[in-house]
Amino acid sequence: MTTLEAPTRRRTKPKQSLGREDRNPRRWIFTIVIGIIAILINVPLLNAILVSFKPDGEIARNPIGLPQNATLDHYANVLYASGYDFPKFFLNSGMIAVGTVLLVLVIAVPATYAIVRLGFGGRWIIDGASGLRLLPAIFFVVPFFILFSNLGLQDSVPGLILANTFLNLPLAIILLAAGLRDIPKEVEEAASVDGAGVFRTLHSIVLPMLASTIVAVSVLVFIFTWNDYLFALVLSSSNATPVTLGASNFVTSTGIRWGDISAASFLSTIPPLLFAVFAQRYLVSGLSAGAVKG
Amino acid sequence: MLSRKLGAVGALLVSATLLTGCSTGGSTGGDGSGSGTVKMVAWPGPEGDAMKEVVDAYNAGQGKEDDINVELVLLSRQDTFSKETALMSSKSSDVDVYWTASYNVGQFSPSLEPLDDIDTSNYFPVATEGLTYNDKLYALPLDVSNHFLLYRTDLIDGLLNDPAAVEVYKSISADVLGEPREPVDPQSWDLDDYKAMSAYFSKSTNADSPTQYGTILQAKNLLYNTMIWNDVLWGYGGNWAEDGKATIDSDAGKKAVQLYADIYKNKWTSPDSAQAEFPETQAALQSGNVAFAMQWSAAYAALNDPEQSPDIAGKIGIAPVPGGQTHVHALSVSLNKYSKNKAAAKTLLSYLATTEAMTAYAEAGGIPAMPEVLSQNEDLNPAFGRVSESISEYGYSEPVFPKTFQAYSALAEALSGAWVGETPVNDAVKNANEALQELLD
Amino acid sequence: MASTFVRQKKHGASLILSAPLIIFAALFVAYPLVSGTMTAFTSKSLLDPTDTFNGVDNFVSLFTKPAFLNAAGFTLSFAAIVVLCEMVLGFGLALLFDRKFPGKKLFFTLTLLPIMIAPALLGIMFRLLLNEDIGAIPAILQSFGLSVSLFSPSSVVPLLVVLDILQWTPFTFLIIYAGLQSFPKELLEASAVDGATFLRQLWHVVLPVLKPVLFAAFFLRAIDAIRTFDVIYVLTAGGPGTSTTTLSIFIYKVAFEQGDFGKAAAASVVVLICLLPFVPFIVKRIASSGMEGK
Repeated sequence: MTTLEAPTRRRTKPKQSLGREDRNPRRWIFTIVIGIIAILINVPLLNAILVSFKPDGEIARNPIGLPQNATLDHYANVLYASGYDFPKFFLNSGMIAVGTVLLVLVIAVPATYAIVRLGFGGRWIIDGASGLRLLPAIFFVVPFFILFSNLGLQDSVPGLILANTFLNLPLAIILLAAGLRDIPKEVEEAASVDGAGVFRTLHSIVLPMLASTIVAVSVLVFIFTWNDYLFALVLSSSNATPVTLGASNFVTSTGIRWGDISAASFLSTIPPLLFAVFAQRYLVSGLSAGAVKG
Repeated sequence: MLSRKLGAVGALLVSATLLTGCSTGGSTGGDGSGSGTVKMVAWPGPEGDAMKEVVDAYNAGQGKEDDINVELVLLSRQDTFSKETALMSSKSSDVDVYWTASYNVGQFSPSLEPLDDIDTSNYFPVATEGLTYNDKLYALPLDVSNHFLLYRTDLIDGLLNDPAAVEVYKSISADVLGEPREPVDPQSWDLDDYKAMSAYFSKSTNADSPTQYGTILQAKNLLYNTMIWNDVLWGYGGNWAEDGKATIDSDAGKKAVQLYADIYKNKWTSPDSAQAEFPETQAALQSGNVAFAMQWSAAYAALNDPEQSPDIAGKIGIAPVPGGQTHVHALSVSLNKYSKNKAAAKTLLSYLATTEAMTAYAEAGGIPAMPEVLSQNEDLNPAFGRVSESISEYGYSEPVFPKTFQAYSALAEALSGAWVGETPVNDAVKNANEALQELLD
Repeated sequence: MASTFVRQKKHGASLILSAPLIIFAALFVAYPLVSGTMTAFTSKSLLDPTDTFNGVDNFVSLFTKPAFLNAAGFTLSFAAIVVLCEMVLGFGLALLFDRKFPGKKLFFTLTLLPIMIAPALLGIMFRLLLNEDIGAIPAILQSFGLSVSLFSPSSVVPLLVVLDILQWTPFTFLIIYAGLQSFPKELLEASAVDGATFLRQLWHVVLPVLKPVLFAAFFLRAIDAIRTFDVIYVLTAGGPGTSTTTLSIFIYKVAFEQGDFGKAAAASVVVLICLLPFVPFIVKRIASSGMEGK
């Protein structure tokens, strides 16, 4: 992505923190406090990781401790032994999430620019888009199902990409609109005086400056799409099953297979996590765009 | 500016309406060529696993002759019926064979094809009757599910064989029931024994109890928990309705709710059982924190398996539900009315109705609803004999009407607050009765 | 000032740039919206799959029985409490993070982890983690001699609030922290000269400037909180009774347990109509000041 080598944002003054300046030993206090918070909020995940290595009999007997007879059975079940095609579920989730990110960007970036900068349609489009997210997703599930059945998109990866695009467009438009207003209009006006058309301005001036917002939007859209459950439940049955739905197969008619579902849950957090780690730099700077109108 | 906006809105509406028009064309399904792929839904668990083996065997053998390939779609247990509801709402032909049960076949029947020309003589008559609605058979039975009292044999024996403990039990039962009782074997408990035993095995009433709580109630707001509570209702001589009039507010109904509330408020079940269902009940028994519980038949095997339940395996006994009444339902398979390949799907269903297919099903871990298969394969699973017995002697069926499925949910919603003492019993049964009456009308 | 010619050229470009959004909206937004709204005026159900018009019957039955209004009441108070807490805690966490300390990068990622777990799977994880017989949290509490019944009727609502806060504070934290990064620190230096205390700085300098960012975090979080479904549905199914039934759970049950699609659609329409008026008000605060015109 060439857009990533974008000029950095305007505020490049030496970074200062809001809190008073701290000397070295005192900084460790923050490490400790924040470390405790980070562990606390991750207790569910840490527990899932522990459980995923415990044999079935030990899960009930040893709720707190480390696994005494650690086993990889649950991971074997998730990856191949259970009869479920988890590699395919992961692949589906990946294709759906990446496809959704791309489609959301293709739709949202030019449109938001037209709305915000060229005054297209006015604010009601943004209002409407945000309003859509207010509706319980259930409202749309059945109409989507009927529509997709007619279009032959039922139980297909492209179908789920379209559905998730629908769910995530509002978020993207809101964040991109906020990012755009942070770019000084004068730069574009200067370009347009130079004779650059709208498309060239968008491509060579606006996109690079908007790059970090775009990355931030991508990360959030990826996470939300990866974690979708309700639309996947209704719109997929076997070919396009994503990993969230595959994992729920461990909720059986004779109870929940705790170890297997823990392993599946843990594995399914890794891809969004990796994406977020690699994009961390842009995540913060992208979301900070438009935050404060100085 | 304004007109441009209106234009855009108009364009959206017009295109949407056009699309709506397209979709109402709808399909009515078709017989198809009699061969090809048949898509069939199942849920994970012993039933789905067994069905998978049957289907694999069919595809490798008989299916080749029939020129039919069966594709099994597994949906999670919690979502199967929601997903099928969505499929049916849009008259989908996506799957050919639906996974159904005797409690929802009535509600699903408008989207199902009657199966009257399939030979069902091998099944328990009661099982096919439960799947018959308006004189038409809408599904073929698979597993039969019912409830048992699962109890700790070591703890009960300890009580029965210890004269000092018997005295304690007598004094506790006198407090709880108003008259002292002798402890008896769980095989012959009535609901009063159940109540007194719950108290005896709870630390809140008996500080020397070997377990924290006597039992665990499945009191979460869930339709499956209504089925278990119904055992108590029927056990007290109650019923949902008589002659089309709801009778939840009868004395039996009030007593049944009161029993749950008494057990809950006296801490003879854990306070957390307000959100308990099948997995929580398993956990409570596995951890050794409770002495007995009313539980689904499918739970027994896991509790006596040393791998899964190291602390209690071998110490779990099985008895009829106290009061001698158990809900019975059958899981089943049905033909989608909008399927485009009905002839092939019927060939498959006819095959599933044979003793040969159901023997394979039993060997793969299912509990088929065929008396002949069960009696011939008792060496496979000792519970097979129990199942036959409970169906013939202790089983009852809730009234079958179009909204039976909704009634289970409505009762759970109206009563679950009172089960845990949050709402007064009389208010709850009154609301439940009104809700049920509305569904009956 | 732009000439008419330029303006027309801009309009043409706007159309082209917005074309993907318009096509997508026509296909995948308008149809479900219209079809869903039409369903609201029919008696469509599993037992009666025809689209028979029944006027406002569905709406009447919603408002003449307590279930829908109770669900709305619970949803609003639940959303208000969790969003308020998540805003305050997210802001506090952002302030804590707004400095250099060892391990910052690692802990930043760890803090964001909870939003990367699919809510549907997280609900199942909680069922194990919090189970009194085999769960880690009750076991830890018991080892301190505390015996707490997390799922008893009196503690289940606070429990659900805490779980939601644990899961979503990272989201408000992310947005607010990003906003803090573009905070013009010279404002602080100026007020520090005045000798303002930290709290007064916070109140008089930081909060006013961060207002748009706080609104964005609030709004994005609030619309999702109003749609809360997965974790509560898995843990309580809306009970005991209907005491924890959110609007999404109500609509889900009406549609998929009762099979009453008409009534479910009607409930969704009511939700949308009640919430829509707030949208322009909020969007104006987030994204409008960079817009052309109005």
